[in-house]
Amino acid sequence: MSRLTYGDVVQLLFHEAALLDRREYDAWLDLLDDSIVYRMPLRITRDPRSGPEIRDDMAFFEENKASLRTRVERLKTTSAWAELPPTRARHFISNILAEPVTDDGTLTVASSFLVLRSRRENADVEQIFGERRDVWRWNGERWRLFRRTIYPDQTTLSVMNLSMFL
Amino acid sequence: MERGGTISRDLLESVRDKIRQGLLPQWVFSDPDIYREELHKIFYRTWQFLGHESEIPQPGDFVTRWMVYDPVLLLRDTDGQVQAYLNSCTHRGSPLCVEDGGNKKTFTCPYHGWTFNTKGELIGVIAGNKVYGEEFDRSEWALRKIPRLEMVHGMIFGCLDPQAPPLLEFLGDLKWYWDILLGRTDHGVEVRGVPHRWVIRTNWKISSDNFGGDPYHTAMTHRSAVELGIAPKDPLYGSYGYQVVLDRGHGFIISTAPPGLQMPPYQGLPEVLWPEFERNLLPAQRSVFQKAVVMVGTCFPNLSWVSPMHGTGGPDEPLTTFINFRVWRPLAANRIEVWSWLMVDKDAPEDFKEASYRSYIGSFGPAGTLEQDDCEIWTRVVESSRGFMAQNKDVNYNNVLNYLMGLDRVKPVDDWPGPGVAYPTCFLDAISRSFYEHWAEMLLA
Ligand code: FES
Ligand SMILES: [Fe+2]
Repeated sequence: MSRLTYGDVVQLLFHEAALLDRREYDAWLDLLDDSIVYRMPLRITRDPRSGPEIRDDMAFFEENKASLRTRVERLKTTSAWAELPPTRARHFISNILAEPVTDDGTLTVASSFLVLRSRRENADVEQIFGERRDVWRWNGERWRLFRRTIYPDQTTLSVMNLSMFL
Repeated sequence: MERGGTISRDLLESVRDKIRQGLLPQWVFSDPDIYREELHKIFYRTWQFLGHESEIPQPGDFVTRWMVYDPVLLLRDTDGQVQAYLNSCTHRGSPLCVEDGGNKKTFTCPYHGWTFNTKGELIGVIAGNKVYGEEFDRSEWALRKIPRLEMVHGMIFGCLDPQAPPLLEFLGDLKWYWDILLGRTDHGVEVRGVPHRWVIRTNWKISSDNFGGDPYHTAMTHRSAVELGIAPKDPLYGSYGYQVVLDRGHGFIISTAPPGLQMPPYQGLPEVLWPEFERNLLPAQRSVFQKAVVMVGTCFPNLSWVSPMHGTGGPDEPLTTFINFRVWRPLAANRIEVWSWLMVDKDAPEDFKEASYRSYIGSFGPAGTLEQDDCEIWTRVVESSRGFMAQNKDVNYNNVLNYLMGLDRVKPVDDWPGPGVAYPTCFLDAISRSFYEHWAEMLLA
């Protein structure tokens, strides 16, 4: 099972996206390795000759399994107002570029994301988009997300919060 | 932009009188005319926060910022002096620099190629004297400086009004409290990384007032933290401490541990820093600081800060603390752009800085679990304040909001060690009333 076809990789990422869209957060947490590093650094606009746009010294998300679990537990409370009533978010994952699985069972995969979100009765739609760089690992039984870095394409976010996972 | 014509003096006076009675007409949260008045009478006349010195440490370092709609190029010139210019070319108005930050010795305009140095001097004109003649005086076409630029504790402020009082006079007694937040260690604070920026649909006064004077919201808005066991169940938990009403609409809130609960002194800041507190703070400042759990407030009109004690992730993680400043930049009567900076004492140990960073990201910024719920509710307030009834300027529909808490009931503390008028509880609308009274006075000025 540590050998993957491109179709398997697509299925893996779409399965994860479906868990998030369906708000099956405990199942999503189960997909995450216990030593996961999940981060979303900031982007700034700058002259490419002067340095990278991504600023690794500040982030929107700087998470480990425990902090992600706290966020999930929060969503189960009766007072996480940003998600109560729940928003409707759809994760569109595309442009999937997978590297061959290494002998030790490591899958490196990049994908684009577009998340559209509907809040309450509002006809306006919020959106956020960018790229994810993942490392997944085979733990002998299943693939688990081991590293995820999320690169937003915006410097100033137009979503009013990041109450979703990307 | 047109000056608002429909806001009469009589109307503003009636608003001010209502505020003195603890009532705020709801229409001020989303009326476009009063928004235009606010720009002219408040934002174009008061000091606005631009950034911190540590964001531009080296000669040539620059960041671009906004004073509402005025684009600002903030930089350190080749002599090491901080300068702020209107980020608009003197030739035909193009933005001179469209990057968020970097390091440059010269700035060349992409429109016709005029080039300026960090002193703002026009040093390069394509075809120069050949097209403009020998009499062309480049010094007349230097970058336009932001009229006023002053600093305190590395916090850089600009002001568009050349006649405005000096920054220290504008801050008044707030400086005494900012010493505790920003001037307690030998080398002061530094900004980590770059500020978070995002846009939310609310009115700038709602967020300013929430940080400035509304710890009452914490029990309900942030109830998820209570449900998770991160914050205590006691509905009065957020009330313990002091509201300090300061001049010019500023306020400073110091929340303290509930009676009987032992909290570490100085917000649990590393003990290696304590001798520095002794060196840099007066005994009276230390006595306030020592019992602080949360320090939060607003510098009128739209610069807020929060320095709480918060965990770094799971509910079992130890509490740590951080300093977060934010500008609620008005974009429209019902839209703001939030700029949020994380600051930390330069002299703090690295592991503390890291914990402080994680604690901030978990709780504030767009992904912060506390911030998420704040922004959600502020957005809803504006949604329900737009209609005919809420907008009625004669307040015929009882469309006034309740700022009555503690009015004529709660008396100031007699022996408060610091400046300002301190009240012995955080559940109080004293700072909010003072904020809105000052706001009305400025609109009337
Ligand atoms: S507008 Fe800048 S050179 Fe013409
Ligand atoms: Fe809040």
